[in-house]
Amino acid sequence: MSDFVRHPAGVAGAILLTIIALAVLFGPLVAPYDPQAFHTTVRLQGPSADHWLGTDQFGRDLLSRLLFGARSTIAFGVGATMISVIAGSLIGVTAGVVGGWIDSVIMRGLDGMLAVPDLLFVLLIVTMLGAGTGEAMLAVSIAFTPGMARISRSSVLSIRTREYVLAAVARGESQRYIILSEVIPNAIGPIIVEGTIRVSFAIMIGATLGFLGMGAQPPSTEWGLMVSEARQFMYRSPWVVAVPGLAIAVAAMGFNLFGDALRDAFDPRRSR
Amino acid sequence: MVEKLGNLPAEASLDGLTVLAIRDYSLNYNTTSGPFEALKSINLEINRGQTLGLVGESGSGKTSLAWAIMRYLPDNASEVSGSISLLGENLRGKSHQEILEIRGRRISMVFQDPSTSLNPVIRLGDQIAEVLVRHRGLTPKQALTEGEALLATTGITKPAEMMDRYPHQASGGEKQRVVIATAFACNPELIIFDEPTTALDIITARQILDLFDRLREETQVTALYISHDLGLVSRIADDVAVIRRGLVVEEEPCDRVFSAPQHQYTRDLIAAVPHPNRRIASPAPEESASDLLNMTGVSVRYGETSILTRIFQPDRELTYGACDVSLNVRLRELLGVVGESGSGKSTIAKVLAGLQDFDGSLRFNERVFATRKSINTDYRRAVQIVFQNPDASLNPRQKIREILSRPLKLYKIVPRSEIPQRIRDLLSKVLLPEEFADRYPHQLSGGEKQRVAIARAFAAEPELVICDEITSSLDVSVQASVAKLLVDLQRDTGTTCIFITHDLNLIRQLAHRIAVMYRGSLVDLFETNEAENAERHSYTRALLDAVPVPAGTESSPSA
Repeated sequence: MSDFVRHPAGVAGAILLTIIALAVLFGPLVAPYDPQAFHTTVRLQGPSADHWLGTDQFGRDLLSRLLFGARSTIAFGVGATMISVIAGSLIGVTAGVVGGWIDSVIMRGLDGMLAVPDLLFVLLIVTMLGAGTGEAMLAVSIAFTPGMARISRSSVLSIRTREYVLAAVARGESQRYIILSEVIPNAIGPIIVEGTIRVSFAIMIGATLGFLGMGAQPPSTEWGLMVSEARQFMYRSPWVVAVPGLAIAVAAMGFNLFGDALRDAFDPRRSR
Repeated sequence: MVEKLGNLPAEASLDGLTVLAIRDYSLNYNTTSGPFEALKSINLEINRGQTLGLVGESGSGKTSLAWAIMRYLPDNASEVSGSISLLGENLRGKSHQEILEIRGRRISMVFQDPSTSLNPVIRLGDQIAEVLVRHRGLTPKQALTEGEALLATTGITKPAEMMDRYPHQASGGEKQRVVIATAFACNPELIIFDEPTTALDIITARQILDLFDRLREETQVTALYISHDLGLVSRIADDVAVIRRGLVVEEEPCDRVFSAPQHQYTRDLIAAVPHPNRRIASPAPEESASDLLNMTGVSVRYGETSILTRIFQPDRELTYGACDVSLNVRLRELLGVVGESGSGKSTIAKVLAGLQDFDGSLRFNERVFATRKSINTDYRRAVQIVFQNPDASLNPRQKIREILSRPLKLYKIVPRSEIPQRIRDLLSKVLLPEEFADRYPHQLSGGEKQRVAIARAFAAEPELVICDEITSSLDVSVQASVAKLLVDLQRDTGTTCIFITHDLNLIRQLAHRIAVMYRGSLVDLFETNEAENAERHSYTRALLDAVPVPAGTESSPSA
């Protein structure tokens, strides 16, 4: 872990994630205004002493909306990724451990799903399920599952032929012990790293869905939706678009940098 | 900084002797935990036509020195002091352009593994020609003709044909000959050989060494020969320098190093070179000893085809990992299995460890096993395997305590409450301190890790331990102590051992009987003291000839 601290990208990612985490935990407590309260006299204002980040087209305080929105936005990214990590690694580990024709069938199926671009795939699923935060989250996790499965499978496959696994097989260990104690602890690293990086993609796809009106619905404070609602006013006041846009960028970058550093820390060739 | 040193080479060639002079050269690598001293004030000289053998274990800095001479160092290297001079010209003062002119033309290099040092997508002929075009200004056509002539001097029988091949179409030995031809192409003043035979099979390695000897005779080239193998260096070098942790501890003419080694480390190294006359085997089992294990007609096919392949390529041939091997192992014996890579010796180990499907049958302790599936836990407890590479055979996420306790729990060797005590006993048996129980494998050295792997095998109180090349990833000095440990354990516990190796000199120290494998078949089986008898198989003879007893390491006059 000392390597991790020395990794400049890792430190930057950790700092960004800390800011985001504080917003998620304490945002609603420290927000200066009710995020839904209209202040009709001060619509589309730039930053001022009263409204630090300005106001939107209804005069709602952008800082407050941002702080309230952190929860739903981050929860969306983390939630969607976690579902896809769990589903993906279950499928991938099964395919990798069982092998043979079952592996072939599963993997060819997943390859087919991988061939469809993520966003298109998500839109397809949301169209079928209907718009809404929960549906969008499910859609993103389904779209991410094939990629996670592929990574966990390749990770398992490379571990399975290691000599310590062969040694366990030669000892006559049960399949259960071999998978749980020998394979998974060594295969988990790349899966976690990939998951962390994917949170940022999930946030961005979530924002895109919000923007397209297929994710969170007004008056939610989800960041993507904020950008979408404000886009027709962006020439009169760029702040309304820039503030939530920047927040999305910060969160995505935080997860991305952190994930990159995590990958380097897990890589035995780089550590020590 | 860079001056024209126009008259210096002429001056240097007047005294005509010192080709390479390294003076007080020190090199550090900047790491996250501070500077690491890779080379500490090295002083070396090589005179024209001489070969200097540079011997050291892994991590001693010998390859760093080679790259320092080639002026190709990683970014985190910092040269602290000293000079490296080629015919009196200090290479450290050269610009990048000048160095490019020197590399390949005046100093060339032969690498360890020819399969990675040749570009796989360029024909072998073009790879030689490139050097000739670049450094000797030949036209491509002339270069190809010249390249062919060069290949012919390296003993390749059909050089024209070889020129047209890609690297994957040539054998390891042929590729190394091409690399050597390239290195000699511009009559360089110095050639650096970095373990050129380590990646090759024993017999091929011997041929490459003979080639090296002959070319040196013919061209009078100056060479720096880097190796970990003191025995090998003793055969080809004029002078030997022994390097340890970046420090040259001894530099002497070759015969002096062996007859009167000055430094304790050199003495240890010499003592560690395996020699068949220094038997360290446990007492031999009696002639009448019964068989613990019988293999009858064991075959292993690789590349078992799928239905689709069978339909589309019905006449595809199967490759045999092992072919009709019948072998018996006597109770309390140490049986050596010798062969080149691909000879099937590891396949046999995997069959015996129940890791590989096979045809034929195994009889172990009066029980017969005809398939891998029929191998039961009793057999698996009684037959333990130790793998070649301890880095790979110990789970990096488990502490040594967990690794050693696993067989104890699995086979219920001792009650749960006695496990901690048993782990301490096991560690002390393999001469490791008991604190190691709380460490992770990466906190141990290679030799220590292999001791843990051996302890794990013996934890199961096995009747048969299979050792698959357990010493070949270790340094020579560590190798000797691990081999000794194994023999001691065998004597104390009365376990039977199968020791698989490619090192004939080592196995002749340890084994009671030796089996020789060649291309999947068992070709010879003999008592160790009959190794030199006339009735040995021709392949056994070839193997024995390829690894002569290292000169100067005899402890008693050779028979």
